[in-house]
Amino acid sequence: MQSTGFGFITQFHAMASPCEVLINSTDKRLAKKVGQAIANEAWRIEDKYSRYLSTSICAKINASNGKPVSLDEETYKLLDFARQCFLMSDGAFDITSGVLANAWTFDGSDNIPEQDKIQPLLKYIGFDQITLTANSVTLNQGMAIDFGGIGKEYAVDTSLLIAKSLTSLPVLINFGGDIAASSKLRNGNPWQVGIEHPGFVNSTSEKLPPLVVSISTGALATSGDARRFLLKDGKRYSHVLNPKTGYSIVGAPKSITVTAPNCIQAGFIATLALLQGKQAEQFLQQQDIGHWCIW
Amino acid sequence: MQLTEKIELANQPRLAKNKAKNLKSLLTAATCSLLGTTVPANGQSQAEENQWQFDTALMYYGESDRVTAVEGIIAATKEFDDEEFLSLKLTIDSLTGASANGAVAQPYVQTFARPSGKGTFAVPSGETPLDDTFKDTRLQVNASWTRPLTTDYTISTGLHASKEYDYLSLGLNASLTRDFNKKNTTVAIGFAAFYDEIEPEGGIPNPLAILPNPQTTAFDDSHRIGSSDNKTTIDVLLGVTQVINRRAIMQLNYSFSMVDGYLTDPFKIVSSVDELGVTQHQIYEKRPDSRQKHSVFWQTKYHFTSTVVDFSYRYLWDDWEINSHTFDVRYRIPLGTGYIEPHLRYYMQEAAEFYRPFINQDDVSPSYVSADYRVGEMNAYTLGFKYGMPLKNGQELSFRIEYYQQDPENPGYELPGVLQEVDLFESVEALIAQISYSF
Repeated sequence: MQSTGFGFITQFHAMASPCEVLINSTDKRLAKKVGQAIANEAWRIEDKYSRYLSTSICAKINASNGKPVSLDEETYKLLDFARQCFLMSDGAFDITSGVLANAWTFDGSDNIPEQDKIQPLLKYIGFDQITLTANSVTLNQGMAIDFGGIGKEYAVDTSLLIAKSLTSLPVLINFGGDIAASSKLRNGNPWQVGIEHPGFVNSTSEKLPPLVVSISTGALATSGDARRFLLKDGKRYSHVLNPKTGYSIVGAPKSITVTAPNCIQAGFIATLALLQGKQAEQFLQQQDIGHWCIW
Repeated sequence: MQLTEKIELANQPRLAKNKAKNLKSLLTAATCSLLGTTVPANGQSQAEENQWQFDTALMYYGESDRVTAVEGIIAATKEFDDEEFLSLKLTIDSLTGASANGAVAQPYVQTFARPSGKGTFAVPSGETPLDDTFKDTRLQVNASWTRPLTTDYTISTGLHASKEYDYLSLGLNASLTRDFNKKNTTVAIGFAAFYDEIEPEGGIPNPLAILPNPQTTAFDDSHRIGSSDNKTTIDVLLGVTQVINRRAIMQLNYSFSMVDGYLTDPFKIVSSVDELGVTQHQIYEKRPDSRQKHSVFWQTKYHFTSTVVDFSYRYLWDDWEINSHTFDVRYRIPLGTGYIEPHLRYYMQEAAEFYRPFINQDDVSPSYVSADYRVGEMNAYTLGFKYGMPLKNGQELSFRIEYYQQDPENPGYELPGVLQEVDLFESVEALIAQISYSF
């Protein structure tokens, strides 16, 4: 934790991202308490939902081999939210699409997989094949889930709720570019947030300046390539894959930042927009939602 | 190259149009259940803050051969920080046509003086006498301000004013609601007061006085007792709203209303007939100068998998002995990108104790009397449907069309002589059409 011009900033590492909590207060004890509570929350969610930790509920579900796995209320709600995202997006947003990583490796090379590598994986994709009840979830054999698209955003939202329960002073949470603020600064100004786009130095010769966005309340989320893409014949294959065809989305913006009342909403819309490829901007305009696209 | 372009396009999952447009509201609902909070309501991001929400409507109401009304409504709501709401509503309606003046039909042409006392009009044989001078434009303004007091209490205050050619109404109201049980139970207490003033053209007629002979063109002032009169209304409401489960919500209200002052309709008259049913003369109606109304209202909304049923029942009783029952059912069915909502309403009312379709000239003159069909016995039906279609950015356009029929009944008076040959309890049919646009 360190002191800054506006108050205190607490930094830690969670969910493979640098995380920070900003509080607009000179009360050091309060800042420490809020920062600690939020770091604990981020680590709690990482431990619970990371698919790389064998003790997580996510790993347990993925190793269930077609058998039902019992659920606590939070996990049920999160899965139910993922199910609603699947329905709202007509299957475009699907937390079961992670198995495609067996065919695609986004290492910046031109290594585009053959159709016969993708095809056999498609039968393991589709949230509609999951049986979800309030107490249990059952996946078909070979299927797996991944909270990648919503987990970090969810952690931002629950952390902000914790912050609000501890203080009414302005707090901003930033978990690797997924951001939420409880209120504008005490001087009435909005928070100024710079959103960096690492990796873009590859595609354009000059490094892009960070995008500066004002936020008073609500949330921001960014979805984009970063360093994860393939390049073949001058065409950029994004790491976002269409769950229905198993194929990479071509022509999408490199990065999309969206504002919404909650971070999880912003994250979902940003990912869904990326899935629209060339129509991403048009889709966002139709949603009448604040957004920034980098092409 | 062309082929790859095609594949790329086909490869991009496209949202069904209806889903794409409604995403924001769907997502808000989904997030609410995930985070279990009301964050979306007060945590609007900057871009969407402080915007006015408008509801506009244009309504047509047309009775066959009688009243035609056209009404325009524009309502605006603005949310400020901390769940504070300001609502403003402007209503303009215009009425034209004729309404029954209370006199009985006769098997001959009848001539009446206009309510203003200026001029006469004739009613053909066998027809219900209608006063055709009915023409007015009303302007109505309502404002309300709602804000949370503490986490559980919400207070709302409002003002009302309406003005038409011969009528002024002013009102104020306040209500307090308290949430219990994680906002699953809401208890409300409300209060309203109104002051109404009527200034009919030609003045306030002397109740129970015999109407001047329409043939006398000179206006006779002895039948008028003043130029204007007024009434006051006090309303008290108690209500409970209960969330039963994820699918059902129920509301129960009790309200008490006390009205004092001039409650008579200066334009209504009563025919005095002889033993053959022939009109001898007409008198001005007279109603008691106070009325106490009670009503209970019960409403249930039930959300099936995709449809919503909304049922309500109201029982109203008062010291004029006008007891009424209203049953109302709406059933909302998704249709294409929008919805269709059939509506059925049934209303039945008993007559006021002083209601007489006419009086016999030999009877002792009553203390109070009215032949206004609106305080008589009646059944009424409404049958219709509404079609709503969501537009871009959460806007909605809807159309409503309804058929209304009102059947006045004879509460048991014997009809002497010629009154048996005419229709004293004529049905009124009306068509209602409305277009609403919310943005």
